[in-house]
Amino acid sequence: MKTLKTMAGLALALGLGFAAQVSAQQTLKIGAVNPYSGPLALYGTEVTRGYELAVDQINAAGGVLGKKVELVRGDASNPQQGIATVEQLATKEKVDMFMGTYISGISLTASDAAMRYNKLYWETNAVSNALTERGLPNFIRSGPDGAAFATTSANVLKNLIATNLKKDIKDLKVWLESEDSIYGTGIVEAQKRLLTEMGAKIVGVGAHSARSIDLNDTVLRAKQAAPDVFVQTGYVPDGNLLLRTFRDQGFKPGAILFVGTGDTPETLEAIGAAYLEGVLVIGYPRSNDITEAFGPGNRAFLAAYRAKYKSEPVAPQGMAAYSGALIMFEAIKAAGSVEPDKVHAAALKLDKPESSYPSGFGIKFDKNMQNVRAWFTASQWQSGKMVTVFPQNAALPGVAVKPLGRP
Amino acid sequence: MDQFLNVLVFGLLLGGIYGLVSIGLNLIFGVVRIVNFAQGELVMFGMYGCYWAYVQLGMNPYLSVLVVAPLVGLLGVAIQRLVIQPLHNESNMQIFATFGLLMMFQNIMLAMSRGEAFSIGGTMGAEVLSVGDLKISVVRLVTLVATTLITIGLHVFLRQTMMGKAIRAVTQDKRAARVMGINVEKTFLITFGIGAALAGMAGALLTPIYSITPGVGGNFIMAAFAVVVLGGLGSVWGAYFGGLIVGVVEAFAGYYIDPALKSAVWFLIFLVVLIVRPAGLMGQVGAEEVGFREQN
Repeated sequence: MKTLKTMAGLALALGLGFAAQVSAQQTLKIGAVNPYSGPLALYGTEVTRGYELAVDQINAAGGVLGKKVELVRGDASNPQQGIATVEQLATKEKVDMFMGTYISGISLTASDAAMRYNKLYWETNAVSNALTERGLPNFIRSGPDGAAFATTSANVLKNLIATNLKKDIKDLKVWLESEDSIYGTGIVEAQKRLLTEMGAKIVGVGAHSARSIDLNDTVLRAKQAAPDVFVQTGYVPDGNLLLRTFRDQGFKPGAILFVGTGDTPETLEAIGAAYLEGVLVIGYPRSNDITEAFGPGNRAFLAAYRAKYKSEPVAPQGMAAYSGALIMFEAIKAAGSVEPDKVHAAALKLDKPESSYPSGFGIKFDKNMQNVRAWFTASQWQSGKMVTVFPQNAALPGVAVKPLGRP
Repeated sequence: MDQFLNVLVFGLLLGGIYGLVSIGLNLIFGVVRIVNFAQGELVMFGMYGCYWAYVQLGMNPYLSVLVVAPLVGLLGVAIQRLVIQPLHNESNMQIFATFGLLMMFQNIMLAMSRGEAFSIGGTMGAEVLSVGDLKISVVRLVTLVATTLITIGLHVFLRQTMMGKAIRAVTQDKRAARVMGINVEKTFLITFGIGAALAGMAGALLTPIYSITPGVGGNFIMAAFAVVVLGGLGSVWGAYFGGLIVGVVEAFAGYYIDPALKSAVWFLIFLVVLIVRPAGLMGQVGAEEVGFREQN
């Protein structure tokens, strides 16, 4: 009797083990590397929400490669943790591939660690040019890079600001300001090159610490140079302090263009709607604020987000992550595998025009596996809200560019 | 040249901010002889306290000083009693302990704020006094005036009251003060409390100017340590004038040389002062040694 029980138990255990093995084979596990703790947790989570919505959608349609997709979160709030979390996900969770990342520094180390396990690292959000310039064979980026910030700002200066100020780009006087790390200065360098090529007059280039507690010197210098446009690339606190110092010093450039930050309620709370009126910000396209023609599916994304999380999106990064995940599944399907070299080869063959995804992205990878059909958009503060105004086909019907100058 | 006056004015106003965050630190550093790394976080608590009082209760930020400063002061007393005092024979450990507090305080606020920056600058603090070409931000002017008043108040307190005299006695020689019947532990407790309350007050006064993040304290503290050492350990007026000097030097270096080099310029001055006069500009000669001399 006892033997029988043991045998039954053994059979059951074997059966369960077998069942578990089958289900493991039928699941595609993706490690989602992002900061889920620390100061950036809010945004890391928002990016991952984009992935979750894409995974829900793909699973509802039967999964990918005949498997159900499962996301496994790996917390990395700094570059060191990026390595540790990839190692843990690769060895313990046995994920099949990775995706991320809100922060470039974390992506840099995490993708490198993923390479040691020969696993794909699909990047949706980190923007540093260095990431793709490494030519790491397991790395693919579906979203725009830092150079796209510079290109979009040059285009906005030429096609929106110069036109609005009724000036030729060759007569436009531009001040380029940034926080003084590689992030800000790198973008300013690219902006300077593009604008010089266009013939714009760069009347000053400035850099300040993102932790500055006073920016009067910067603002006074800029004021002396009397630029038509002041362009700032930095973070939220220094951007807010800069605008406040403009206000205190009565500095009124013809237009103010912020790159990357300045589009959140944090800036509205710090400066107030009245002074912000007319300020332009370059960033990711926002759902419900762009046309369906420009970002097909952006409204459906918003509806799915609201239904799942019972709240409004925290930041537009989520939709860029969602679009990136959709592109990724497409590449995996085309490759019939998640092996880095196969996905690589398949992704290179993909060719879709811009405005194929909710964030307005298309697909065309260059040799470094950077998607060259992913761009940012420009929005304007209008009555305390951000409204997309550039490119023109993204702006909703009835939207007009309000006066760019300070009140 | 037309900008000279403008630069001088915003340098002085900036100096007021530096002085404000340095006064409390100077008291703790100069008297209790603790390198309190968490001082910036006490400023941060003052800012959050002021922000919440403004947003939740509609309290004027300057009025909220009356609530916020005593609360942060009490926190300071608790820190001294529960963390610093038990480690009184382990001066290195005291420093590590304050670093632990820094991490803890930052992470608590991180969890509570989810990392979002808060600010009240959109609804207040936009007033500017125009004197000719000069633009003077009213909230910054208020900060400078408050710093001056606090400095005078603290000076009077340390000169005229028994408690103030006890604090000065302990600053000069802990052992002799104890022989004279001064309760050194109690003096430390009160000093740390006042130092923390001053940090809380600084935070509340600065709330209309800055965006508040859990790491905001760190932006001030590096400069504050330099101001304290430059001005002179334990010298109230040292912190005040040290702050003004750093503010003005930073403004001129930033405007006339390069904003990216401004910190380098005043750290250079800081080093020169340290070499020429180790006690700081207004510190008692020899005061700098006390911190490292074995005292029981």
